Amino acid sequence: MTTLLYTHPACLEHDTSFGHPECPARLTAILNALRTAPFAALEWRDAPQATVEQLTRIHPRAYIERIFARVPRQGNFALDGDTILSPQSGEAALRAAGAVCAAVDAIVQGEASNAFCAIRPPGHHAEPNQAMGFCLFSNAAIGAAHARVAHGLARVAIIDFDVHHGNGTQAAVERDPGYLYISTHQAYIYPGTGRRGERGIGNIVNIPLLAGSGSADLRHVWRQEIEPALREFKPQLILISAGFDAHHMDPLAELNFNEEDYAWLTRRISAVAADFCAGQVVSILEGGYNLSALAASVAAHVKALMEAPARGHTP
Amino acid sequence: MYEFLKYEVRDAMTADPIAIGPNARLREVEEIFENHDFNGVPVVDDQRRLLGILTKFDLLKAFGLGVHALAPHYDAIMEQPAAAVMTHDPVSVEPRLPLSRLLQKLVEMRTKSLPVVENGRLVGIIARQDVLKALRRATIQHEIPLHQDSPS
Repeated sequence: MTTLLYTHPACLEHDTSFGHPECPARLTAILNALRTAPFAALEWRDAPQATVEQLTRIHPRAYIERIFARVPRQGNFALDGDTILSPQSGEAALRAAGAVCAAVDAIVQGEASNAFCAIRPPGHHAEPNQAMGFCLFSNAAIGAAHARVAHGLARVAIIDFDVHHGNGTQAAVERDPGYLYISTHQAYIYPGTGRRGERGIGNIVNIPLLAGSGSADLRHVWRQEIEPALREFKPQLILISAGFDAHHMDPLAELNFNEEDYAWLTRRISAVAADFCAGQVVSILEGGYNLSALAASVAAHVKALMEAPARGHTP
Repeated sequence: MYEFLKYEVRDAMTADPIAIGPNARLREVEEIFENHDFNGVPVVDDQRRLLGILTKFDLLKAFGLGVHALAPHYDAIMEQPAAAVMTHDPVSVEPRLPLSRLLQKLVEMRTKSLPVVENGRLVGIIARQDVLKALRRATIQHEIPLHQDSPS
């Protein structure tokens, strides 16, 4: 089955100011990697803009208006020390959330078995009423809500392997049993949430990892915690908040994953998806700030998506 | 050979060392480290009472990853006051402390220097290099060979 790639040139126009780690070059590096021969079978699609209806499933209308009111005509506007707007940020954010919704549409309707959304700004720190941590709209939660509301799915799982906890995604889904949110992240760094005791209504699984954790730790928590929780939930669609800043070369954290870990984890997630939901996976770019490590990790992740089976053995 | 045992901290310390106030910016502290071979700089009030010590590690720690920002705001951190990142209530020594005891303390604490305080006021800094210099002085001046081989 086909793997879709959603992206849009507007995502390259979101300018976070000189030297900012969440920079357009991240996406350029990723897209350059995905234009090489091994990825020829990828089906590229332009990301549409998210609709107000799609956004307001997660964010209050007043919040959305507040963000757009702060988009500068020129230069930059800092929502906080991390989160910077430029003139094209509004459209980029709409394309980012829109990519996820369009990917959900295509996958749920059977046009392909999985998709990767190569978008920025990232989303998992954006809470329903608070932009933060480079994030404006909660892309993964918006996509999950779209699957639930527009397609009537009862159970949507979100797996977040970005090195930072997805406080925004958690805040958006923690009171709805139709969502399962599982996050691995480094303990004691930004944003400070994601402790084990944060369990929502039993639908949140937080797995903080200590600085220095690597491949063996990832495999251990997959077998002990992630896979059992995922299988018990019986997802009808799996979304991935795919941040690649747990890579051992990333400058903003201290976990030690490598490209093969991302490929391995993607294969494991895809195997569960094959068992429960015809392999339906929508993966969404979050962080990752070492350009070459990011490009190589995304390549490994997307290759694993392209090679994923659509049908499993134990439905 | 036992000359070293007679030394006190005051014999080897740097007296009246450079110190900073609690409101000195980290940018100024970094400049001090840039211009002097210090491991740490004492933080004092206007009476030169010791408030803390700000080491190179304290300075580095201020720029580390934390929960308040995804990426450290390096420029803003440089403008923080010394009081925000210094080590409070640091271990200090008295000027009359035998240098042998000071040596022991440095080794045990794995610290590179200690402030010297008399009557609550900063009077000096004693560092590893000062102790090594004192050891050299004590051993060079009074060296007696352990074995005096008789000429054959």
